[in-house]
Amino acid sequence: MKSWNLFLTRFAAAVFTLAVLFFSPALVPAQTFPDKPITIYCGYAAGATTDLTARALAQGVEKLLGVPVVVENKTGGAATVAAALVASKKGDGYTLGVTSTAAITMRPHLMKLGYTGPKDFTVLMQYSRFIGALCVLKDSPWKNIEEFIAYARKHPGMAYASNGMYTQQQLAVEIFRQCKGLDFKHMPTKGGTEANTALLGKHVEFIPGAGSHLPLVKQGAFRQLLILNSDKRDPDYPDLPTMKEIGCPDNPANGYIVMGPKAMPAPVVKKLGEAFTKVAQSAEFRKLLDSYDLPYDYKDQNQLAKDIPAEFDWYKGFLQKLGVKKE
Amino acid sequence: MDFFGNMITGFSVTLQPLNLTFCFLGVFIGTLIGVLPGIGPVGTMAILLPVTYGIPPTTAIIMLAGIYYGAQYGGSTTSILVNIPGEAASVITTLDGYQMALQGRAGPALGIAAFGSFIAGTIGVIGLQLLAPPLVALALRFGPPEYFTLMLLGFVILTYLAQKSMAKALLMAGVGILLGSIGLDMITGLPRFTFGTPELLDGVGIAPLAMGLFGISEILLNVEMKVKQEILTTKVKGIMPSRQDWAESIWPILRGSVAGFFLGILPGGGAVLASFVSYAVEKRLSKSPEKFGKGAIAGVAAPESANNSAAQGAFIPLLTLGIPANVVMAILLGALMIHNIIPGPMMVKEHPDLFWGVIASMYVGNFMLLVLNLPLIGLWVQLLRVPYAILFPLILFICLVGCYVINNSVVDMLLMLFFGVAGYLMRKFQYEPAPLVLAYVLSPMLENALRQSLILSGGSFGIFVTRPISAGCLLMAAVVLISTLLPMIRKKREKILAEAEEEI
Repeated sequence: MKSWNLFLTRFAAAVFTLAVLFFSPALVPAQTFPDKPITIYCGYAAGATTDLTARALAQGVEKLLGVPVVVENKTGGAATVAAALVASKKGDGYTLGVTSTAAITMRPHLMKLGYTGPKDFTVLMQYSRFIGALCVLKDSPWKNIEEFIAYARKHPGMAYASNGMYTQQQLAVEIFRQCKGLDFKHMPTKGGTEANTALLGKHVEFIPGAGSHLPLVKQGAFRQLLILNSDKRDPDYPDLPTMKEIGCPDNPANGYIVMGPKAMPAPVVKKLGEAFTKVAQSAEFRKLLDSYDLPYDYKDQNQLAKDIPAEFDWYKGFLQKLGVKKE
Repeated sequence: MDFFGNMITGFSVTLQPLNLTFCFLGVFIGTLIGVLPGIGPVGTMAILLPVTYGIPPTTAIIMLAGIYYGAQYGGSTTSILVNIPGEAASVITTLDGYQMALQGRAGPALGIAAFGSFIAGTIGVIGLQLLAPPLVALALRFGPPEYFTLMLLGFVILTYLAQKSMAKALLMAGVGILLGSIGLDMITGLPRFTFGTPELLDGVGIAPLAMGLFGISEILLNVEMKVKQEILTTKVKGIMPSRQDWAESIWPILRGSVAGFFLGILPGGGAVLASFVSYAVEKRLSKSPEKFGKGAIAGVAAPESANNSAAQGAFIPLLTLGIPANVVMAILLGALMIHNIIPGPMMVKEHPDLFWGVIASMYVGNFMLLVLNLPLIGLWVQLLRVPYAILFPLILFICLVGCYVINNSVVDMLLMLFFGVAGYLMRKFQYEPAPLVLAYVLSPMLENALRQSLILSGGSFGIFVTRPISAGCLLMAAVVLISTLLPMIRKKREKILAEAEEEI
């Protein structure tokens, strides 16, 4: 008898859960959201600085929303694997992703992915962005960007190592090259560290720093000459000019964003957006960003709704001009 | 500061109770994850990274480093016992280690791996302490042309790995090259052979490949046999290596340690390359090369020593230049940065207690690992007495979970199963998986280095002979090739001469 009662209770609970699951996006949008764990797919490897920021966001949001927020690392393809996974899920607010803006504005122009662009996502907020810099060795003769450009004019074919073809950093050097009418040899590598090593070993003459260059700048091995991938000067190195200041265009800054699948109900978007914003703006989170040399650069949903499609179109035009064909 | 002054600084840091405790914790966790296939030091250290926020930086690095070299100790266990390499650097250990286990000599195999690891680890730490700064300068001179010729040398040495048919080994190397070319082409930035699968953009993972080819295929082979548990019936002959075993292993251990240390300094696949190269060298130097692949203890001792000293060597570029030689070192760099310590030339001066403390902890940690691992050997060998009906499903389960958690990827799991079946068929038709795995590891590095070199030289192949290190590697490759071919030529000539004489 007892077990029969237990069965009935469980059966009822199961039916109820099923019903909730089935009707929840349509019938009970914001009042009950969230009532189960939220999963964040992180496009970066466990332990990477971008992963650690995603985990810090998840911890903060968990406290605010009262449900577990789990970070799952889905690495690969410059965060496109994670983005494709998010795009494939239902827009109910229980699946989110942390990637870069380039994953949805630039990569779709290069290859066929599980999504075609920003229209397949709901972007909730941006909390940081990448600031790059053109770096040379400390004991090289070039003290500033003017000297560098003058030398490069006279010596066509200077070699540089990038952290990969069509990365944010490599594209910036390409723009710089076109803008100043220079000629470089480009040696792509597997990533920022390998490029750093190539510069330290004097196998190339400069690199566009990919983040991992900053410790080497701090310990005095590299000198930065020019800020890349950013329309503003780097607050940590206020003496360095930006691309705009030396009269060149620049590719859009690569933002680190939190996003969900498309067609999320407005109340859910609002609730999530507020929670993530609160955590991102907290002093604790900003201190964490600082210790990883990541700048705090917050953008809300409205700003991103304008910026991201614009970034998408910019890359479309730019890559077309470069003659890149989609595979 | 002199050698002894540095050592006193180091040990005074290491022997503090807190640091000793975390050192033990590190090597203990390392041993555990080393034994479990799939779950490697990278994932574990990443998960434990937030834990280190609250403890002093030196303590944090001592623990994280312990996990790393501890995992190198444990990695051989599954290779020897069940033919499943815990990681790429232990792939080669399966060749003779598993054969030894089948002959009831799992104990000595595990024993020599532990002692070899201890000796190599200690040699590696001594090298790290004495040679760090000059070696970094040398390692930095390895640019793309030097890497290319080094890999070329690796491929030439690969020919020694062929145990049965050279033609089949070369065929397998070809398949390995093909598999290695899957993924994003580094130079053009566009995908190759991915068939629109985003998970393949970063290529086929080494874990699904090695676990499938060696582990899953082994299970499949055993399933079709009549259940007659060989290891159960074969009496386990002794746990510790005998005097004879020591005589056969001591030189391979020392040679493996030195080779591993130097290859470990180079960024990239140092430990993997070191284990393959030291195995091939021992096979070449051995008076009885025919024993390799059939349970030669030197075939376990050399690569296991090499991958351990490579683990110590990998610390050199990080601690002296701030360059992480592999992903594990990148995580350590992250851990240092949390505490606002920037590794590099200045670190030894600015944080001597950290630098020498971590080095001293490696001596202590290596000793702890030996003490920890020797009693465990008895336990691992007992594991083989578990009936196959229970053991095999369990191994399969651990492999599936281990493979999934690396990238949380179902595709990886399917790949592992695919390679399991492929490996089973390969073994049935007597194709060896080892040349395939080595070619798979080396060929992307070889290809990228070649294309990078030619970009730098503007298309001229002269760059490979005008740079001294790369010319040296080429010369060595030529010597190795000729030394293999000469006996064959001589035999042929003798034959021709003999025939000519007969005609007269």
